[in-house]
Amino acid sequence: MAVLSRLREVAVDRGRNKSDRILFGTMFALSALGLLMVYSATRSSGSVGMERQMIFVAAGLTVYAIISNIDYRELKNLIPIVSVAVLIALFAVYLFDPINGARRWVPLGFFNLQPAEFAKVVVILLLAALLSPSNRDEIGQRQLSWPTVFRALLIVALPAVLVLFEPDLGTTLVFGFILFVMLFVAGATWRQMLALTAAAALGVVVTLQRGWLEGYQLDRIRVLFNPAIDPQGIGYNIQQSRYAVGSGQLFGRGLFAEGTQTSFEYVPEQETDFIFTAVAEQLGFVGGILVVAAFAVIIWRLLVIAANARDRFGALIASGLAAMMVFHVFVNVGMTIGIMPVTGIPLPFLSAGGSFYLAMTLSLGVANSVWLLRTPVPGENQLT
Amino acid sequence: MKFALRLTTLGAIFIAMFSVIGLRLWFIQVAEGPQIARAAEEATWVGKTSHAARGDIYDRNGTLLATSRMVPAVMIDRTFVQPEQRDILIQEVSSIVGVDPLELDAMYEEAGINGRFQVGTVSNETAYAINESLDELPGVEVAKVPERVYLSGPTMAHVIGHLGLPEEADLAERPELDRNVRIGKLGVERVYDEVLQGTGGSVEYRVRRSEIIEQRPPVNPVTGSSIVLNLDLALQEQVELALESGVALSNEVKEEERSNGEEVFNETQRAAAVVLDVNTFDVLALASFPDFDPQLFVAGIDETTFDGLNETKAFNNLAVSGLYPPASTFKAITYTAKLEENLPFPPDVEGVDGDLIHCDGTLVLDQLADGSAQVKRDWYDPRNLGWLDIHGALENSCNIYFWNVALGTYVAYQQGTAKENILQDWATRVGYGHETGIDLTSEAPGIIPTRGLFEDWKTYQLENPDEPPRLEPARLELASPWLGGDLMDFAIGQGAFTATPLQVATSYAVLVNGGTVMEPRVVKETIDSEGNVTPVERSAPVTIDIDPATRASLLADLGRVVNGGTAAAAFNDFGEGVENVGGKTGTAQASATQDNHAWFVGVTPIDNPRYVVAILIDEGGSGGQVAAPVARHIMQYLTGNEPTPIVEGEEAD
Repeated sequence: MAVLSRLREVAVDRGRNKSDRILFGTMFALSALGLLMVYSATRSSGSVGMERQMIFVAAGLTVYAIISNIDYRELKNLIPIVSVAVLIALFAVYLFDPINGARRWVPLGFFNLQPAEFAKVVVILLLAALLSPSNRDEIGQRQLSWPTVFRALLIVALPAVLVLFEPDLGTTLVFGFILFVMLFVAGATWRQMLALTAAAALGVVVTLQRGWLEGYQLDRIRVLFNPAIDPQGIGYNIQQSRYAVGSGQLFGRGLFAEGTQTSFEYVPEQETDFIFTAVAEQLGFVGGILVVAAFAVIIWRLLVIAANARDRFGALIASGLAAMMVFHVFVNVGMTIGIMPVTGIPLPFLSAGGSFYLAMTLSLGVANSVWLLRTPVPGENQLT
Repeated sequence: MKFALRLTTLGAIFIAMFSVIGLRLWFIQVAEGPQIARAAEEATWVGKTSHAARGDIYDRNGTLLATSRMVPAVMIDRTFVQPEQRDILIQEVSSIVGVDPLELDAMYEEAGINGRFQVGTVSNETAYAINESLDELPGVEVAKVPERVYLSGPTMAHVIGHLGLPEEADLAERPELDRNVRIGKLGVERVYDEVLQGTGGSVEYRVRRSEIIEQRPPVNPVTGSSIVLNLDLALQEQVELALESGVALSNEVKEEERSNGEEVFNETQRAAAVVLDVNTFDVLALASFPDFDPQLFVAGIDETTFDGLNETKAFNNLAVSGLYPPASTFKAITYTAKLEENLPFPPDVEGVDGDLIHCDGTLVLDQLADGSAQVKRDWYDPRNLGWLDIHGALENSCNIYFWNVALGTYVAYQQGTAKENILQDWATRVGYGHETGIDLTSEAPGIIPTRGLFEDWKTYQLENPDEPPRLEPARLELASPWLGGDLMDFAIGQGAFTATPLQVATSYAVLVNGGTVMEPRVVKETIDSEGNVTPVERSAPVTIDIDPATRASLLADLGRVVNGGTAAAAFNDFGEGVENVGGKTGTAQASATQDNHAWFVGVTPIDNPRYVVAILIDEGGSGGQVAAPVARHIMQYLTGNEPTPIVEGEEAD
């Protein structure tokens, strides 16, 4: 930490502002819990899941520290480069053999890069740039024009479609949610919001009618409404996950307790998408609700950062990140407790996985940068 | 809306979403937690079931007919298969066991995530090879499973039956069934399936990382109860060989007839026989030709073989499901009814003289509404036998005599001095028109035609003009579709009257045992795995009133049929004790494109009846010529005579 703080002194002089300690502390606590849970979920199989995750955590925190100290407004200049890089990576996944039936990864030897995770952050930056004033004339405009809304839709469309065909319906929906929230925050009219909502509803209806969803995707929705169907088949994940969460009861069965559902590995993918089942079973309702509360704190901080940002660009970045975080937590935890269909959306900071962890710390690094630079230099024209 | 307000709105929505998560978490973990925890605990136990061997089947002398042996089978337990091993495993196992990979894939999916299923049985060599390489085959195990063995081959196939995988209807009816384990589908295997099946065993255990970490005490399977049949294997073999010879004989006769320019429609292909103990209603032999080997079904019959056998109706048990007009064999019932009910002849009719009827092949009817007379000619049997009493009429199977019985009854009904269905009631009482209640599958009830039935048919036919008609159109014009001629047909076992060979056999058993009606049984008793013997269930006997004099008269006349009557030629070389053998021939007229069905019912010994033998050769021709020699051969065996070859008898009725 000493290195980090000196780096900050050397790198930038932000004057009076300090890092968002609550944000960092919560992220750090969740990451630490994540390591424990990954260990708990993988120790019986003798896998090196935890060691790998420790490397990712170390790398992620470093990324957080570095990005925190880069002026987020500089990122505007980087947007074209990173956009092209992410697009290339999103196309590149189609060159490799599918894993578990999906092409989501670019193998890099030491780990598999999942471009879609970074694409979320890039899309947030792109939308924030688009939706914030780019010249003096636009300053003070309260409402978004229809062309701007369409441009925003186009920006999201390309990565969303690429991800959809990997297939990764869950991440596509993340893009949609981010777009929706950012347009709202950026000042979309009620009419525009209604039009988007109607278009989304129409999309859902057409998708269902045309049978564009794969059988397993429909099954996941059906099983949500009737968990009892086929507990040895399509209902298996949801049933086992419910067993694990329910077994935790109020105080949990204890960290690393023997004979738990999660220690038997009845819950599939429990160190990644279903990590929350391990938390809820071992630490109970108390532990589970604390984790949910920790996410609430992060999201609260992101909204506070958005409210205090020096410019609209920073505010929109923070709002977009908040939207991303909320969607991930709601859908991921929601699927383990049977209120959301099963999708491959991981839980920030807790789920094992390199790309996602790095993308999340990078996100909070950007948010922290917005926080650090929130106070305008005297005489500066705020582009808000 | 101001920016700050938009952020606040967003915050409010986020809080709402998180509250939903919190509430649901409380509900699952605290409110419902204890119940879910209990269910979860139970769900961690996985069960492994093992199937019990089916019970053995013995003949009445204790000869083993069907048993179960333990054979190696390849099982896959998905609990021990990691997802990434799945595809390779399916490839390897399908090539080792010789199952289609796609089929195995489907079985794998159907078994469910922690499912265990049987891929198939394998030879001992293959089982050994698999056991050697179990390390490379996760989740695969070789278990000994019971497999059915039929030691008597196709003999008695229709009685013993065969196995098959349960269908949806079976699974719905008996939820305890395993869809991969064969159950009885026909005969005793089906009727007594639950007795033979036994109780499955099970082991419950908990698995972690593909290793068993805890196990509950196992429950061992209990072998099903054994069944002892009433049938006698040696007799059954005689009966089946005799039937086959009978079919061959019939085809020889047809060949002769063809060369003489007579009309022959079809090749003879099917036959059935029943041997019944008249006092106990034990079925001593029951055969249907052609037959099949039940062993074919043990590992699953291939479609070509199945279709080929199905084409020849090899799976149909004609003895209980084949329906034929009983023809002249039914004259014994009309005979008994005539004596018991003192049925009158029609008054003032030519050719009737007291108890005598002029059997010259014609019957003069003068009871027509316009007062005119009509001569009904017995086209099939134009013999002039002179004046016959009831005894001579049965011995010579005189249609004119029994027509007059029917006509007299019909006239008496019209005059109000007799019940209309008096003959049909007798038929019902001795077992026609309803199932006998034998312990076999697909028994047919047959049809006893009455005025009521014909009127029902007429109504149905008028309401459903598109369905195949049962009555000729001219009858629909009449006030009542039932005519006196229908009762005349009935009295000689023709017309719309149909019955199974089993019904014909049981009706004779009732007539000659003094009137006792029981349900026939192919099974004698069951013996459970601890050796407790339970006699087979049967309904209480019903006794119908038959005067011993009537019975004695009938027995004597059945004896005359064999010793001088229509079956005399067939019983020529019966050997010792032929005077103690009785019977009745029958030749059933079927449709216009079918040859006649040949019947013979034999009774022996007639001084104290014990056996009834009913033979039916489907489209076999004349009863006396073809069916009687088959029955004679079997009765020679029953009475201890050396059975002589089955050769042509005399063409009669």
